[in-house]
Amino acid sequence: MSPHAVTSELKRGSTELLILALLEERPRHGYDIARLIDERSDGEITFHVASLYPILYRLEDRGFIEGRWVERAGQRRRRYYRLTAPGRKFLASQRTAWDTFFLALNRVARVRPV
Amino acid sequence: MNWKDEVRAAFLARAASVDEDVVEELAQHAALAYERAMADTLDPGRAERQVRNLVTEWAGDPAFVNRRRRRTAAQVPPPESSSRLAGLAQELRYACRLLWRQPGYSAVAILTMALGIGATTALFSLAYGVLFKPLPWPHADRIVRLYETRQGATNRFGAIMTSAPYVAWRERPTTIDGLAAWRVDQVMLDTGGEPARVRVAAATASLFPLLGVQSLLGTPYSEKDEAPGGQPPVVLSYGLWQERYGGRRDVIGRSLQLDGKPRRIVAVMPRGFLFPDAETRAWTAMSVRFVKGGLSMFSAIALLKPGVTPAQAASEGTARARSGPDPGVVVMAVFGSRAPARITVVPFLEAQTADVRPAILVFLAAVGLLLVTAVGNIAGIQLARGTARRREMAIRAALGAGSWRLVRQALAENLVIGLTGGCCGLLLAALLDRALPSLLPPAFPRLNDVRIDLLVAAFALGLSLLASLATGVLPALQARRVKVAGALAEDGRVQGDGGTGLRASRMRAAIISGQLAIACVLLLGAALLTRSFFSMLTSDRGYDPTHVLTAMLSPSDSLPRAQAEAVLSGLLERLQGAPGFTRVALGSALPLTGMEIQASFPFRSGQTGATVQAQAAARTVSRQYFATLGIRLVEGRLFDASDTKTSRPVVVVNRAFAAKYLGDRAVGQKLWDDTPEQPGPEVIGVIENVRHRSVTDVPAPEFYRSFEQGRGGGVPLTLVVKTAGDPASLARTLRALIRQHDASIGIVAITPMETLLRTSLLQPRLYSVLAGSLAVLALVIAAVGLFGVLGYAVGQRTREIGVRTALGARPADIAALVLRQGLVMASVGLALGLAVSFAVVKSLATFLYGVTTYDTISYVAVLPALLVSALLACAIPARRAARIDPLEALRG
Repeated sequence: MSPHAVTSELKRGSTELLILALLEERPRHGYDIARLIDERSDGEITFHVASLYPILYRLEDRGFIEGRWVERAGQRRRRYYRLTAPGRKFLASQRTAWDTFFLALNRVARVRPV
Repeated sequence: MNWKDEVRAAFLARAASVDEDVVEELAQHAALAYERAMADTLDPGRAERQVRNLVTEWAGDPAFVNRRRRRTAAQVPPPESSSRLAGLAQELRYACRLLWRQPGYSAVAILTMALGIGATTALFSLAYGVLFKPLPWPHADRIVRLYETRQGATNRFGAIMTSAPYVAWRERPTTIDGLAAWRVDQVMLDTGGEPARVRVAAATASLFPLLGVQSLLGTPYSEKDEAPGGQPPVVLSYGLWQERYGGRRDVIGRSLQLDGKPRRIVAVMPRGFLFPDAETRAWTAMSVRFVKGGLSMFSAIALLKPGVTPAQAASEGTARARSGPDPGVVVMAVFGSRAPARITVVPFLEAQTADVRPAILVFLAAVGLLLVTAVGNIAGIQLARGTARRREMAIRAALGAGSWRLVRQALAENLVIGLTGGCCGLLLAALLDRALPSLLPPAFPRLNDVRIDLLVAAFALGLSLLASLATGVLPALQARRVKVAGALAEDGRVQGDGGTGLRASRMRAAIISGQLAIACVLLLGAALLTRSFFSMLTSDRGYDPTHVLTAMLSPSDSLPRAQAEAVLSGLLERLQGAPGFTRVALGSALPLTGMEIQASFPFRSGQTGATVQAQAAARTVSRQYFATLGIRLVEGRLFDASDTKTSRPVVVVNRAFAAKYLGDRAVGQKLWDDTPEQPGPEVIGVIENVRHRSVTDVPAPEFYRSFEQGRGGGVPLTLVVKTAGDPASLARTLRALIRQHDASIGIVAITPMETLLRTSLLQPRLYSVLAGSLAVLALVIAAVGLFGVLGYAVGQRTREIGVRTALGARPADIAALVLRQGLVMASVGLALGLAVSFAVVKSLATFLYGVTTYDTISYVAVLPALLVSALLACAIPARRAARIDPLEALRG
């Protein structure tokens, strides 16, 4: 196994964090989110696209993101998702949790996040 | 490849029904994934298989397939109603729901409307209350103000009348039903403790019947009370009656001390009787008689007979003045001219508000422009929303809604915004109305008549309706022109929309340019008024008001003159050398106090030998006066220790006196010839002109007598103290020292001279601040509008930007594209604004000092202000455009 590979256990918990972090920058649609996760992680994080939309819908049901059809002149209407205020709070708490986790990892196993 | 059908079919194979929104979203993802797979593999078959596998996976998740997205309740347009009124009510309710769902947009629109309507309503209430509201007296429209002038008059005393023409007309009136006269003065009211300074009007008995006012208690004095003897009567104002006597009804017949003299209270006037102004607290009896060789001056009014015009009355007044007794050479002291008298008659309301009328009308026009800017902003936003909602409008049209129905919907939304904004604006106007007394100069006329009443509320309502119509017209026309087929195209792209989108864009750009033009005009006006104000502030008045403390004194009237002079001399000595006091002096009529004594005397020029009747202001000052106030010596010398009671009387004149009467060699000439009692005063020095009232004063001839010589003239009653530090901090010390010296000296007021200066500049400062506020508001509204237009334009041009970027355009090039669009609108607005300004700013000429209406600095200052604001408004949309991902833009 590649020393840089991220285990599936870590991936599952981090998917929501990834999605919320991307939506923090600006509202995006589903395909855009999947593409960016792939591009920005240099291909290291490529969760199954089929699981993207269930996660998006779950986050929407929990009120962390809000989906809206946006119609622009000369374009198809697209469903864009944006981060809500509760979503921002949840993202902040997730980041703190991951920071704490990595600190602990470093203390025990000398693993540092880049 | 129709991925929507593929996804739907896959989902329907596992469930009875599907959510079409989910289907559409996944179908779009499938389409994009297919394009990417095609780009990667170049194999359509393989790409298709990859995506089909994805669709199969989606369909294999039951929770996913059976998901029903929570939808917020769609706002269903109300059905057509047979009753127009019921239909409008339905549309209004629908509009309220739509606006409630868009709180951000609604808040901005309502706030913008509220600012525009609030400012306009506040100015209207001021304009109506001051300029147009009828005076509260019966037959107020027939009451006129009388002015006496003569050709060549110097007009040192403003709008006055003198006793000779008044008496002549009073004896034989045909065009008027009566005359009345009054004079206001500040007197000391004995309160039992520290005397208070109050404003009292000495008025003829004819005043109250002429105005048609009934007293609340007692009976005002009559003509027989005007004769001297007995305890003089006094009429109290309602305010003074409440403050001093608690509104007690047994006040008639009681005694009141004014300036140490007892007066008998004979009447109390009703609440709201404020003549000649709101600060007058009482009225005392005054008589007007003709005395040969003498005259008195006062303000005068008359009651025109029904059907008589002011011009007819003026004709009669002039005729009476010229045929009446001649007061003699004494008129020179008042008018500086002995030409025949001319009486001018002006409606009272017009005369009372003449000073402030031009300013109020100019500012009314300025807030009108602000309202136009605000309305333009909302109209522009509505146009953009109309373009974005054309699909909704098209669906409604396809379902049978007539064009009138669509127009009504557009108007209903604007009506809700307009009326809500109007209510908020009325509240804002009420708040501004409360703040007015602290914002406006104390002498502002009819301030008590300015209020938010039913008429003003009706004005605000009318304005809201008009603004609603104005903001709704363009979107309503847009709604009428919806092309159903194009708007309903499957991919939502507008096919041949007949240019509706382009037309709306052009309209929005035109609105923005118009708004920026208005902002330019208001900015220029503000710049001119501000420059004028600072010019007044820094202008050379001929004296230095910094670190100067003034104290107006009131020694006991029972003291003989010599004793009063001795008390004041002793006070000067005591104060000289006190800690913090650099110089101390006395003066009879200080700058900015509005006091002046005019003298007239025959003057024989030492150079030409000719005798003229000179008119000049006469002042008495102590030795240190000129040095204390920093008044510059031009020629000769100032008063010194050699000028005593026994030495030759001397005077110092100002430059205007020397220029008018003394020629090149002023020093050494005598003002008037020697008399057996005393020698004529000799001119020993010439000082620089002092602008006593306002910096806009034309310097008039003045001469100064020496207090130390004590010959003639008035007793100087104002202390002037040059302080080392902050003069306000030494006020208490000064008061204590005066009390210690002589407790009987009344202290009317102790005020730093800079405070007097600031008070004198309240009006120009107010104009500058008001104009600046309106200009900044207009600029902010226009900049917000520009920001909105460009943001919308960037959204519309996303695909074009994507193509440009794909073809090699850099982010800087894209940003420049957007900036160029914004700056073009700004430049058009600026050019239009400057062109309009050239014509419009002429109306400001009367308010300006030290700057012309074509002041280059002001024009140049407006340019960067407008361009920087436009650049700031363009910055974010330009940045957004530069960061558009070309791939995303091209995929649409």
